[in-house]
Amino acid sequence: MFPWVYEFRWSAGHLIFLGVFFSVAAMIASTLVAALLRTFRDFRKNDADAVRWHVDFEDLPSSARVCRHELTGEVQHRTCHHEFACGTCTGHPQFLLRHTPAAATEDTLYGMHMPGDRMYHRGHTWVRKEDDGTCTVGLDALAERILGDAGGEELPPAGTEIRANGPAWRMSSQGTPVRILAPIDGTVIATGSREQGWYLRVMPREGCFAHLLRGEEIRPWITREIDRLQYAIAPDGGVPTLADGGELVGDLRKQSAGADWDAVLGEMFLEA
Amino acid sequence: MDKELIPRGVRRTTPGRFLLWLLPWIALLGFGLYGAYLCLAEGLNQTNMDNRFAFGLWIYLDLTVIALGAGAFFTGFLLYIMRREELRAVINSAVVIGLICYSGAVAVLMVDVGQPLRAWFTFWHPNVHSMLTEVTFCLTCYLTVLIIEYAPVVFKNRKLRQVPRFLVFEFELHKLMPVLAGIGTLLSFFHQGSLGGLYGVLRGRPFAFREELGIWPTTFFLFILSAAAAGPSFVLITTWLVQKITRKQLVRPEVFRFLGKVSGILLLGYVLLKTVDTFIWINATSPSIGFAAYSFYRSSSFGTWILFAEIVALGLFPALALISKRMCERPGILVAAAMMACCGVMLNRYVMTVQTLALPTLPFDQFLSYAPSWQEVATFLAVLAYGMLLYSLSFRYMTLFPQERELSRFPGR
Repeated sequence: MFPWVYEFRWSAGHLIFLGVFFSVAAMIASTLVAALLRTFRDFRKNDADAVRWHVDFEDLPSSARVCRHELTGEVQHRTCHHEFACGTCTGHPQFLLRHTPAAATEDTLYGMHMPGDRMYHRGHTWVRKEDDGTCTVGLDALAERILGDAGGEELPPAGTEIRANGPAWRMSSQGTPVRILAPIDGTVIATGSREQGWYLRVMPREGCFAHLLRGEEIRPWITREIDRLQYAIAPDGGVPTLADGGELVGDLRKQSAGADWDAVLGEMFLEA
Repeated sequence: MDKELIPRGVRRTTPGRFLLWLLPWIALLGFGLYGAYLCLAEGLNQTNMDNRFAFGLWIYLDLTVIALGAGAFFTGFLLYIMRREELRAVINSAVVIGLICYSGAVAVLMVDVGQPLRAWFTFWHPNVHSMLTEVTFCLTCYLTVLIIEYAPVVFKNRKLRQVPRFLVFEFELHKLMPVLAGIGTLLSFFHQGSLGGLYGVLRGRPFAFREELGIWPTTFFLFILSAAAAGPSFVLITTWLVQKITRKQLVRPEVFRFLGKVSGILLLGYVLLKTVDTFIWINATSPSIGFAAYSFYRSSSFGTWILFAEIVALGLFPALALISKRMCERPGILVAAAMMACCGVMLNRYVMTVQTLALPTLPFDQFLSYAPSWQEVATFLAVLAYGMLLYSLSFRYMTLFPQERELSRFPGR
C-alpha cells in the first residue's frame, strides 16, 4: 500500500491502482472535512436559524409554498423557491410593476378580525408599523384559533435580535410545542402578551418588509390557509367538511379533538 | 411512546404492533448470527463448499445484493448529476437499500473469507492485478460513501434535527452530495464491473471465460449495465411493497413510471449486448478453447431453457414492458415487469456463480453439485433480517419518502 510496505513495487500497475484509490479516499475525506468546516462557519456567522428555515422550507409541501402572485390570481400556478424572501426573487418586482396590491377593503374574513392596516407573514404573524419607527408583532386571528385557549408562550427578552423566518418566540398548545416565525429582522425592545393582543415590539432593520402580505393579498391567502387547515384537520385522505362561507369556531382544537394536532400545528406554522 | 421520534405529519403503527413486526426478524437475525459465529469459530468446514466448489450461496448473495443495491448509486447519479428532480421522492429509500445491500454483502464476505481479523491484509498488501482487490477497495470506499449519504437521513430525524449542529451539518453535507454521488458512481462502475470481470478472466472455466474488450472481459460491462438496470427496478419494487404493507401512498405514480422507464431502457441495452456476447461466445470464444457451447447445457439442471429465461423471458420481455408507455400506465404490469427484470439479473448472477463451477472442465471431471449447509443459509437469512430491521426502523423514524406527508393529505395528487 505504501512504498515502505513489503511487496510494494514502483510499477505502473501499483501507481495507477493506488493513485486512484488514494485520490478517491482523499475526496471522500475532504468532502467530510469541508462539510464540517462549513458547519463551523455557519455557526460563527450565526446562520443556524437561517439554515433551519431553509431546511424546513424545503420539506414543506408545495401547497404551503404557493407564490403570493398565485394567491392574487396574477399567475395561474407558481411555487415559491425563495423561502418567501420576495426581495431575492427576480420575478417579484416584475409582478409589482404590472400590479401593486390595493389596500384591503374589509377587516373581517370568515368571522376573523384581520385588519388591513397590518402586514402579514406566511407563518401567521402580523406586523404593524408604529409612528415612533418601531413595529408591533402579533399573531393573526387564524393562528389564535388554531392554538386555542390553552396556549403557553415563551417570549424572547428585550434586546434579542430576531431575523425574518427565524424563531421569534415559542408557544405551546395543550402540551404541543410550536415555534412562531419572526416576520421581520430587528431587535426586540419590549414584550407583550396574548391578553394585550400583541407579543413583541421590535425596532426593525431597514427594508425588511418586502416579503409580507398586505392589502388585497390577505383575503385570498386566508382563504387558501383555511383550505389547508381543513385538509390538515381531516383524517388521512379525508375531504374538508367545513361549508364554504361559514365562520371558524373560536377554539378549533376543542372542536376537532380527534385531529393530529401535532401535524396541524406543523402544517400551519410552517414547521417540518 | 416514541411519537417524538416519528416525522411530523405522517402516521405510523403503534409501538406494540411495530415491536411485534420486529420480533420475528430479530429472532431470525439471532439465528443467522449463530450460524455465522459457527463458521467463524469452527471454520469453513461448517459450510458445504470445498476447494472445487469455492463459490456458494454467499458469493451468489453478494453478487445479487450488490446488483440490486445499484439503485442507490444510479438514483443518486440521476438526481444529483443528471438533475432528475422527480427522484428526490425515493433517493432516501434508495440510499437505505444500498446501505443494507452493501453492508450485508461486506459482512457476509467477512464470514466467507473466514479470517476477518486479517481483512486489513488485502488493503496493506494489495495484489493490484486482481479483480477481487479492485472489488474489495471499491466496496469498502463505496460503503463509506453510503454511510456518509445515510447520515443526513438520520440527522433529519425529528428529534435529532432539534440539535442545531446536526441540522446544519446535514444541510452542509447535503450541499456536497453531488460530489459523493459522483464518487459513488465511479466506485460502483468499477466494482460492479470487476465482479463481472473476475468471471470473465477465468480461462480455466470456459463457461464463464470471455474475450477482452479493451483491458476488460465483456462480462465487466455486462455486469455494470445489468446492475444499473436492476437497481431502479428494485427501488420501484421496494417502494411498491412498502406502500402495500403500510397501505399508504408514498410517491406519485410518475416516479414509478420514470424508474420503470430508466430500468427498461438500460435492460434493453443489456439484453442486446448480452445477446451479441452470447453469439460471439457460442461461435468463437467457446470453440477456440475446445468446447462446443451446447456441451455446457447438457445437464438437466442447466439446460438451454436457462439461457432463454435469462435473456428473453426475464430480459427482453420486461424491458419491452418497462419502456412501453401504455403498459407502464398499469401498476400491476409495471411492478411485475420490474420484478422480472430483477429476477433476470438474479438468475444471471446464479448462472455465473453456480453453473460456472458445477460444469466439468476436464474430460475426467464430474458434474459437481452443491447445496448450502444450514449455517450458510442462516448467514444468508441474517442479512435478510438485518435488512428488514434497518429498513423498518428507518421508515418509522426517518423521512424516507418526502412526498408521504403531502400525499397523505392530498391522496392521488
